[in-house]
Amino acid sequence: MNAENRLRQTDVEVLTMRTKARSLALLGALTAATICAVAWQGITVHGQAAQPKAAPATTARKAAPATTAPASKGLRTPWGAPDLNGVWNTNTLVPLERPREFGTRAYMTEQEHAKALADLQARNQRPGRDSREVGGKSAVGTEKDVARAYNEFWFGDKPTKLSMRTSMIVDPQDGRMPPYTPEAAKRIADKREFLAALLQGTSGGKPGPISPRRAERSPDYNLDRINRANGPEDRGGPERCLGDNLPVTMGTGTFGGVMQVVQSPDSVSIYYDVGQGQGFAWVVPITNRPHLPKNIQLYHGDAIGHWDGDTLVVDVTNFTDQTSFRGSRENLHLVQRFKRVDANTLSVQFTVDDPTTWTRPWTAVQELEKADDKTTLVLEGGCHEGNYGLLGMLLNTRAAEQAFREGKGPDPATQDNATGGGGEN
Amino acid sequence: MRTQFTGSRGVAAAAAIVVVFALTAMRPSGQATRAARTIDGKPNLNGIWQVTNTANWDLLPHTVRPAVAQPGVYANHPVLAAPVVALGSVGLVPPGPGVVEGNEIPYTPQAAAQKRDNAEHWLDRDPELRCYMPGVPRAMYMPYPFQITQSPNKIQMVFSYANASRTIYLGQTPNAPADMWMGHSVGHWEGNTLVVDVTSLNDRTWLSRSGDFHSDALHLVERYTPITADALRYEVTVEDPNVYTRPWKMSMVLYRQLEDNAMLMDFRCIEYVEETFLGHLRKDQLVKHWEGDTIVLDVTRRVPAGDKRYER
Repeated sequence: MNAENRLRQTDVEVLTMRTKARSLALLGALTAATICAVAWQGITVHGQAAQPKAAPATTARKAAPATTAPASKGLRTPWGAPDLNGVWNTNTLVPLERPREFGTRAYMTEQEHAKALADLQARNQRPGRDSREVGGKSAVGTEKDVARAYNEFWFGDKPTKLSMRTSMIVDPQDGRMPPYTPEAAKRIADKREFLAALLQGTSGGKPGPISPRRAERSPDYNLDRINRANGPEDRGGPERCLGDNLPVTMGTGTFGGVMQVVQSPDSVSIYYDVGQGQGFAWVVPITNRPHLPKNIQLYHGDAIGHWDGDTLVVDVTNFTDQTSFRGSRENLHLVQRFKRVDANTLSVQFTVDDPTTWTRPWTAVQELEKADDKTTLVLEGGCHEGNYGLLGMLLNTRAAEQAFREGKGPDPATQDNATGGGGEN
Repeated sequence: MRTQFTGSRGVAAAAAIVVVFALTAMRPSGQATRAARTIDGKPNLNGIWQVTNTANWDLLPHTVRPAVAQPGVYANHPVLAAPVVALGSVGLVPPGPGVVEGNEIPYTPQAAAQKRDNAEHWLDRDPELRCYMPGVPRAMYMPYPFQITQSPNKIQMVFSYANASRTIYLGQTPNAPADMWMGHSVGHWEGNTLVVDVTSLNDRTWLSRSGDFHSDALHLVERYTPITADALRYEVTVEDPNVYTRPWKMSMVLYRQLEDNAMLMDFRCIEYVEETFLGHLRKDQLVKHWEGDTIVLDVTRRVPAGDKRYER
């Protein structure tokens, strides 16, 4: 990123407004699967969040306290390495893939960016997922209502770091993920077909009889929301609290995320607090040992870190078929690059390669903003420990099956418990 | 002759140098060659550590016993129970001299009864079996490694088991807003000793597989003191007026892993324990013999051919 772009970016930054302790939300509904403690942003600095949310961005930026060591210290650790230590925030407007209208343009104009921000704020003010109306009518007690009985708590006025990028993807030039290989396209189509078959005949699927495919095993290790709850394996990774996987693209969705880095000469220990309690610890050893044998498959891969000048380069292989990054599973080869850009900014870049999935490697970049070390605590994600949702999902489905057998309720196979109420509203 | 002798000494010296170089080259990640102190003069805790004791089984002195027992021929000598009978010696609790100072945990009478009850219903109650975060201090003496990453302001510990982790804040830090499984740790250095005050622990974790428990009033003071460059004395004072009549102390040693290929590998367990805790809620059982809430164990085990041979 050049200096001009960086300047444009910081000009429009606003303060972190995340005042809610987004923690310990107890989610008991059918759809809700997870409970967690996420980032709790502390006391002093974010007390300023009492300012009007729509405060002019430039003013807010100036009001931000200096939260990092002065640049005169060179942003280096006592042992001379670039200093990556700290808690790093995301919550950007930047999508992974570039909207097509931007073509090969990597940055928005000021006007475009102001509009994008206004759109986001407008979107956050409209009735959200837990609205009890569908199409202007009360939907209380309907299937959609239940599916939406989720927690608006997780949503809010998000953006803290308003990068002007039009996409995280910087290579290919069009800012979009390269095409899938025919092999991967078939995998994805097969899975889509299976998901559709399980919805057939429900309010969220095509009309038709209940599909015999309901008796089939998922064609892949299931990580999607499928319309079935025969056992834990039918539920997606987040509902089982299996934790997020690499590479983490923080802030692309609504939930944002933070990353805590603790660094020593031997290792860089990262805690990703992302999504709904899907946070995880990831230790990157600084070493030149070879990767593990190919048959050893690890959920977060086998990471090997080394310094290339001032950039921490982490080579990650040995992934499993239990995780999927945009369709890439055990054959994923990930290279992450962490670079301290300035006092407030950490650049996190990743290149992913998987010849069984994409027609070429591709690269994306995120800029993260430093939080105040003195006032920010990153809390543990206690998703699995509080996972009453998965239990409830299985228990309720068994109860519904029992009720159906006794003629007291509909066939659960005719119900949509996957799409969250479809596209309306 | 003399020249020859000198010559061979020269060769030996050269060989020694080659060996030293070779060793250096073989240890790029330097498990054994790590400096004893960090650049700011603190004991260097960076690395992968693990206890070698049996504290996670039982904090007090104990002899061998079946992990899951049924009455044997003699009342005081139980044998392995049906669910684990095929495990043989793998199903046994290894003996250990204990880690508690004075060999006594000062439970209140009521808490002592609770502890005994917990031990009896260990399989139903121990949070470890559910792959939950082990809490502190238990995480420190589970029989699996953890990695310390030491920066000037924070010390991060990541545990193999359940991907649990804790941050030790050095210096000023806000109070924790809620109780947590791994608590809230604030540390400082006293000479060579890292002293850590741990609060905000919830009441859900245990201290061992023997039913040792605590309440959410638990307060710990941990002391990490290097004995050698590769061994740390770990002492923890345990205070919880709801459960114990007085503070008590555990003491043990953490050893650094010195293998060239030492690395922290995640001990993932959620996917594996789902069957234990949710298996009865499957539509189609993997285990075929459930009767309501009761799993009927129909253990069919063919005596191995090798054993048969000796029975003839």
